[in-house]
Amino acid sequence: MKLIFDYTQSNTKHTPSQEKDVDLPEDLKRRSLPLCDVNEIQIIRHYTELSRKNYGIDTNFYPLGSCTMKYNPRVNEDLAKLPGFSDLHPHMPASHVQGALQVIWELEENLKEITGMDAFSLQPSAGSQCELLGVMIAKKYFAEKNESRTKIIIPDSAHGTNPATAAMCKFQTVTIPTDDRGNMDIDEFKKVIGKDVAVVMITNPNTLGLYEENLSEIKDLAKENGALMYCDGANMNALLGISKPADQGFDMMHLNLHKTFSTPHGGGGPGGGALGVRSFLEDYLPVPRIKKENEQFVFDYNKEKSVGKLHSFYGNFGIIVRALSYLKSWGSDIQKVSQIAVLNANYLFSLLKEDFDVPYDRRCAHEFVISAKNFGEKSTINIAKRIIDYGFHAPTIYFPLIVKEALMIEPTETESKDTLDEFAKVLKTIIKELREDPELIKNAPHTTPGRLDEVKAARQLNLRWMPKES
Amino acid sequence: MNFIPHTKEDISKMLSVVGCSTLDELVSEFKPRLSELKIDMPLSEMELVSYITNLSEKNSQMKYFAGGGSYDHYIPSVINHLVSRGEFLTSYTPYQPEASQGVLQILYEFQSFICLLTGMDVSNASLYDGASALAEAALLSSAYTKRKDVFVDDGLNPAYLKVLQTYCDGTELTITNTIDENTACVISQTPDFYGNIKNPQGLIEKAHQYNALFINCISDPTSLAILKTPGEFGADVVVGEGQAFGIPKSFGGPYLGFIAVKQFLTKKLPGRIVGMTTDDQGNEGFVLTLQAREQFIRRERATSNITTNQTLLALTATIYLALLGKSGLQNVARASYHRAHLLHEKLRKNGFGAINTNPFYNEFIVKSPKLSEKIIADLMECNIFGGIDVGDNKLLVCCTEKNSLQDIDSYISAVSK
Repeated sequence: MKLIFDYTQSNTKHTPSQEKDVDLPEDLKRRSLPLCDVNEIQIIRHYTELSRKNYGIDTNFYPLGSCTMKYNPRVNEDLAKLPGFSDLHPHMPASHVQGALQVIWELEENLKEITGMDAFSLQPSAGSQCELLGVMIAKKYFAEKNESRTKIIIPDSAHGTNPATAAMCKFQTVTIPTDDRGNMDIDEFKKVIGKDVAVVMITNPNTLGLYEENLSEIKDLAKENGALMYCDGANMNALLGISKPADQGFDMMHLNLHKTFSTPHGGGGPGGGALGVRSFLEDYLPVPRIKKENEQFVFDYNKEKSVGKLHSFYGNFGIIVRALSYLKSWGSDIQKVSQIAVLNANYLFSLLKEDFDVPYDRRCAHEFVISAKNFGEKSTINIAKRIIDYGFHAPTIYFPLIVKEALMIEPTETESKDTLDEFAKVLKTIIKELREDPELIKNAPHTTPGRLDEVKAARQLNLRWMPKES
Repeated sequence: MNFIPHTKEDISKMLSVVGCSTLDELVSEFKPRLSELKIDMPLSEMELVSYITNLSEKNSQMKYFAGGGSYDHYIPSVINHLVSRGEFLTSYTPYQPEASQGVLQILYEFQSFICLLTGMDVSNASLYDGASALAEAALLSSAYTKRKDVFVDDGLNPAYLKVLQTYCDGTELTITNTIDENTACVISQTPDFYGNIKNPQGLIEKAHQYNALFINCISDPTSLAILKTPGEFGADVVVGEGQAFGIPKSFGGPYLGFIAVKQFLTKKLPGRIVGMTTDDQGNEGFVLTLQAREQFIRRERATSNITTNQTLLALTATIYLALLGKSGLQNVARASYHRAHLLHEKLRKNGFGAINTNPFYNEFIVKSPKLSEKIIADLMECNIFGGIDVGDNKLLVCCTEKNSLQDIDSYISAVSK
């Protein structure tokens, strides 16, 4: 394994040479810069080689549950890179950035229509920053009403970001168990809902890939007690053009543009977040708001109730361009995305049901969770590693935490029937291998680097390269 | 346009396996059903390109003499070619390290570059942007010191201050103007928003006297090629905006937040961290490590709620730094410095007042002899975005290696009309 720091010195020249030193006091000047110069072709080879050690949607089926790894249309990349967008300085006055403001405004309008929310902010950089914003808004909203509410109710199937966000804002998390149909347990919920609850935070469909059956009752109880309903919209890929979260009773919701609206995941970001709220919370959204006045787009900073700013500028604009482009491609046909996403998930679920333990045997939404607990402890990690040998990325594993030996599979709408058939066949083969040759599976993967020692990584920390001379 | 591969026959076969007669029946549980969706008709790829290109052309393209958190440095061609590779672009957080060695190794290189440049011990694998990185650093300080007061030195980028204020309000921290035994951290930006390069020695001593952490914030890290490192000065935490490292201005995002700390704060870091380890054959490889800090394991006891970060932009910055190397980065920094000083000198000769109190790098502030609105408008006439109006007829002006001598002459002739 060779690091970029291991290459020998050679010449490079991307900008004209500038030999003249700077005229700064010695106590402010840098003494040495421990970098080397590497020639361009070596750099291309180094990073091209590294790219080949990486699975992506472009190279492999990537059924990572809860992440919506759908095809990322390439045209959207070209559009985000148009010089009128990519070269645009964010401090330019509104009069000179009308096209960019229109992009933001149009995406907000489309998202309003799809979710039923009354206003959106596109400032958050990702889903978890949306959650933070949502909880901050709730905090300010109740503070202004002089209501002391200290709790946030979260089901035990929720993403870890939900309780982590609640804790950041000094709320107490109340965890509700899941009932035997995979819903948030309504009886347990009834015991804790009260006037001290600020927010009920629900993922719908939930992380088990199931539609919350008691949502209407939960919403009524939350409203009776004056709590706000927040929807973690990570799973919106099931609902596009079919049902609007605002109609389901949510007061706030977030969307992950990199999931539902197909902006590339980039190895773990940049993502894009969109927080939608009902009108009574609109004034709390971050500034500036982008308004349309007499066919002109303007910045509106004049929002006294606003929680402030969440981003130096206007959010991950490049991601916003891609998401709008994706949405314009689908337009009024967008419900097909969710219909086929749900069909693909249910189809694959049907093919695998006989072979795995099924913790909740219901029709699923856009993803499903099965368990490998019948094959023994640690069988899920072994199966996941073996899947890699067959040229697929593994599903999400050991999540949600409430299902033992969980495999969370989200095929998305862009995978063909053939791919799903093949994936099911591979899982069936692996189960056979588990019985016949368990050592083979325990030592998988065999086609990539071997299984990496995570315990050693955490115990003997090596987090950076060190220059040899020091 | 349609990105679904299914034929009608596929759909009906699949429906019968599932035991449904129609697609509609499949989603019948999702209630309430919406009656209609008021969204425009779908566009073909050709129509889409024309529609979006038209929007992009409604924006003005200028020669930029403005920074303020977004810098117009030259982006070498190779970067886009490498970063656009589908293996990087379309992968996700490397949960399965065996299928993600490429991204993991580059993040390890990124962490190394950030440490080398800042003089710090440990870096994470990126945060959203400079402003949120600063806010995360304040939260880290509060968690480490168990204190709730945040001291902010003059000259912090006002947008960063606003974001910090928002985070502080939500997380029950207080921004104060004294340093005492309640202070969790002392925050100082250098070069500051007005371009002043500061020697943080005194402030660091003061912070440490009260056992508070010192956080150094950087908005154009190309400056690190020529400036003494915050690590050497004794900073405990360095945060900043990595956009200057090969990332397009893109109307403000997506950018690249970074955070680096001294060893003793390693386990308080927010977000992803990549570590080197070995595989079952003893070969070196990389994994996400120290995950017990993170939300998906620690839930309400996590160091932060962050999940998705800015990996592709960390890749971009890594490739940028690899391409430029030592001499390239020094070229960029020296050229930015000299161009800014040349323009500053010429502006002074043309009646602009010099008001920086310290030496500056590539940004400076001048007092305009005329109304600043008029100056900016005159420059815009010549297709030059001449700086950021910071009030009181003061302009915040920035140069990079991209601002040619000819551009500087055009700037001067536009303002001396």
